[in-house]
Amino acid sequence: MSAVEEERAPGPASPAEAPATRPAPSADQTLVRIEGLKTYYPIRAGLLRRVVGNVRAVDGVDFEIRRGEVFGLVGESGCGKTTLGRTLLRLERATEGRAWYGERDIFAQHGRDLKILRRKMQVIFQDPVGSLNPRMPVSDIIGEGLLAQADEKNGWGTRRIRDKRVGEYLEIVGLRRDYARRYPHEFSGGQRQRIGIARALALDPEFVFADEPVSALDVSIQSQVLNLLIELRERFDLTYLFVAHNLSVIQYLSDRVGVMYLGKLVELAPVEALYQQPRHPYTVALLSAVPEPDPRARKPRVVLRGDVPSPANPPSGCRFHTRCWLREQLNRPIECETIDPEFREIAGGHRVACHFADRVDPQSVAKAAAIAPRVATAEAAS
Amino acid sequence: MTTRLEPGAAPASQPAPGRDPDVVLDVRDLRTYFHVMDGTVKAVDGVDFQIKRGGRLALVGESGCGKSVTALSIMRLIDQPPGEIASGEVWFDGRDLLSLSDREMRDVRGGEIAMIFQEPMTSLNPVLTVGDQIMEAVKLHQDVGGKEARDLATAALRDVGVPAPERRIAQYPHELSGGMRQRVMIAMALSCRPKLLIADEPTTALDVTIQRQILELIKVVQERTGTALLLITHDLGVVAETVDDVVVMYAGRIMETGTVEEVILEPRHPYSRGLLASIPSRGRRGQPLHVIRGVVPNPFRMPEGCKFEPRCPYAWDQCKVEEPELYDLGGGRSSRCWLYDARFRERLRRFEAEGSEFVPPEVLTELTA
Repeated sequence: MSAVEEERAPGPASPAEAPATRPAPSADQTLVRIEGLKTYYPIRAGLLRRVVGNVRAVDGVDFEIRRGEVFGLVGESGCGKTTLGRTLLRLERATEGRAWYGERDIFAQHGRDLKILRRKMQVIFQDPVGSLNPRMPVSDIIGEGLLAQADEKNGWGTRRIRDKRVGEYLEIVGLRRDYARRYPHEFSGGQRQRIGIARALALDPEFVFADEPVSALDVSIQSQVLNLLIELRERFDLTYLFVAHNLSVIQYLSDRVGVMYLGKLVELAPVEALYQQPRHPYTVALLSAVPEPDPRARKPRVVLRGDVPSPANPPSGCRFHTRCWLREQLNRPIECETIDPEFREIAGGHRVACHFADRVDPQSVAKAAAIAPRVATAEAAS
Repeated sequence: MTTRLEPGAAPASQPAPGRDPDVVLDVRDLRTYFHVMDGTVKAVDGVDFQIKRGGRLALVGESGCGKSVTALSIMRLIDQPPGEIASGEVWFDGRDLLSLSDREMRDVRGGEIAMIFQEPMTSLNPVLTVGDQIMEAVKLHQDVGGKEARDLATAALRDVGVPAPERRIAQYPHELSGGMRQRVMIAMALSCRPKLLIADEPTTALDVTIQRQILELIKVVQERTGTALLLITHDLGVVAETVDDVVVMYAGRIMETGTVEEVILEPRHPYSRGLLASIPSRGRRGQPLHVIRGVVPNPFRMPEGCKFEPRCPYAWDQCKVEEPELYDLGGGRSSRCWLYDARFRERLRRFEAEGSEFVPPEVLTELTA
C-alpha cells in the first residue's frame, strides 16, 4: 500500500468572483426544465413475477435549473433525490413526465443526439471506491469516456492525444500527471474523488450532477474537495445539480435549494430564504435536527416522531402528514389527510407544498420545540 | 510519559490507578498495535483518559485516528493476532480489565460495560427475534427466569420509546427500520444496567431526523440510569450536543482534551482548530473553505516528530525533530503541541492572537431570535 502523500492544494481560488457576488442568473437562462417527472420501480412477486406495486422513488416533480447555478437537492435517504438526478442523465428510465436540456427533450434523444447529450451532462458519484474500476489504471478510467466520445475533430481516438488530456485534467483537479499510471487502490479517498471529478470534466460538460460527492470523506478532506468543486465551476462555467444529505454542505455551496420528501419536492427557494425562513414543516424539522457544534448557535429543536413511510405506499393527502408537528398544532385539519397540497409560489422564487405554510413562523416553531417529547417514540401513530 | 488529565495534579499526589471511587474508567498509557505483512501499525499509541461515574466523554477524530480501536481495546475485542495490546492498563471499577481472565471478561462485557455499534443490522442476529436477543443478554448477566426475562425485555423496549413492545418483541431485525434497530440495540445494552455504555458512531448510519431522535434518547436514558457514556464519533456537532468532555485524537494519539465548550470555542491545538474551521457551516458562502492541507500520514511512515507536523500551518523546525508531550494546561485541559513549551511563549502568543475567528452559522438565525 502506498498512500500518495503529496496532494497539491487546489490552485488559488478566485474569491472575487464568488458565487454570492455573481449576479443571479435570470429566469430565462433555464438550462434544465423538469415537468411532472415520475420514476417508479416495479415490485414483482409470485411465481409469474407479476408487478404487484411500485416504489414511487420520484413521484411528480417540477422545477428548473438555471444556467451557471448550483442547485442543491436535500432530503433523507430514500426520498428520491439520487433517482431524480440519475433519471435526468438517462441512467434510469422515467416512468412519466418530461425534461428538457435547453431546447432538447432529454427523454426523446436517440443515437448521435443522445451521445452529444451524454457528453454535456456528466456525473460525479458518491462512493470514491465503488465508482472506480480497480483493474484499470487512472489513464483508462479517465480515458474511457474520451474514447467513447472520440470523433475526428477532437482526436480522442488517438492514445497520445487522450493521454495528454488525461494528464491535463489530473493537474486541474490537483493531482500529478504521472498518477495516470497508478491504480485506484493507491489513492486515498479524497484523491479518488478527485479522479472521479477529472473523469467527469475531461469530457467538457456543461452540466454536472454531483451525487453526494463528499459524504464519504473526512471533514478535513471534505473541505479540500468542496473548494475544488467551487473553483472548477468558476473556471469551466459549469452548472451543478448537487445532491447531499448534509445540510451545511448544501448551504455553503448552493444558490437555490430544493427539499425532497418521499419522492416529491416540498420546498424550493433561494438558499438564504430556505435556511432563514423555511416555510414547510418538514424543512423546519430537517434544519433543526442538524447537530450544531457551536453551543452559542443552538436552535429550537423540533423532534419528528416516527420514520419515513415507505415510498411503495405513501400516505394519502400530504405525504408528510403522519409526522407533521404543524398538523398536530392545528388540531389535525382534514385536508392534510385528503388533499395533496399544490406546490405553490408564496414569494419570489419560494415555492412550498403545504396547505398551512403561512402558519410556519417563529411562534409555531418555538411551540413545537417546547412540547417536543424528549424521547420521541419510534412510530408516528402511537 | 507525563500525559495526565487531572488538572495540575503532580504525579505523586495522583491517586493510584483504579483507586479513585469517583472514576469509573481509567485508561493508562494504552498501546494497541497490529502486526501485518508490511510492518506494525501503532493504531493506539499511548492513550490516557478517565471517565467519572455517570460522566460523558467523547473520543473524536477522523478515520484511522485510533478512536474505535481504543474502544475495542477497552472491551478486549481486538483479535490477537494480528492485534496486540502492547501495554497499558484499563481500570474499570477497581479492576484492571487487561489482567482479567477471558471468563471474567465475558461477565464484564454486556453486563457492566455495554456497547452499541454504528450498523445496527450487522450487530443483531438476523435469525432470532428481537425479544430473544434481549432476553439472552438479560439471562446471561442476571439470575432471572424466562417469564421475568421477558418482562424485563418488554420494559427495556418501552423505555427506549418502542411502541407496542409486546408485539415488537416477536419481530425479527429485518422487520424493523434503521432507527428502530438502533433503539433495540440501546434497549439491549441498557437491559443489564451497565456502569459504562460505549457508543461507537451510534448515529452515523442514520438519517438526520432519526439521528436527532436517537441522540435525544441516548441523553435521556444516560441521565435516567446514571450510566457513564463513552461516545466515539467523527462529528463535532454530535459531540457538542451529547457529552461534557472531549478527547481529540489523531494518528493514535491524544492531541487535545477539555470540556466540549472549551475545545469547540477555544481550541488549543492546531489540529482541532483546523478541524473546526473546516466545517462548511463555518464557511462564508462564496469564499473558499478552510482546508487542512495534505492527508493523514501513512501508518508505516509516520513523521519523526509531531504526527501532525506535515499538515500543520504553525509547524516549525522543532516540530520535525521531536514529538511533543501532552502538556497539562490546568483545569482539565491539555494539548500535545510544542506551542505550550515554555521556550516558545512568543509563538504561542501569536497562535492565540490569531484565534479561531468564529463565524456563527446562518442556520435558522431568525427562528432563534
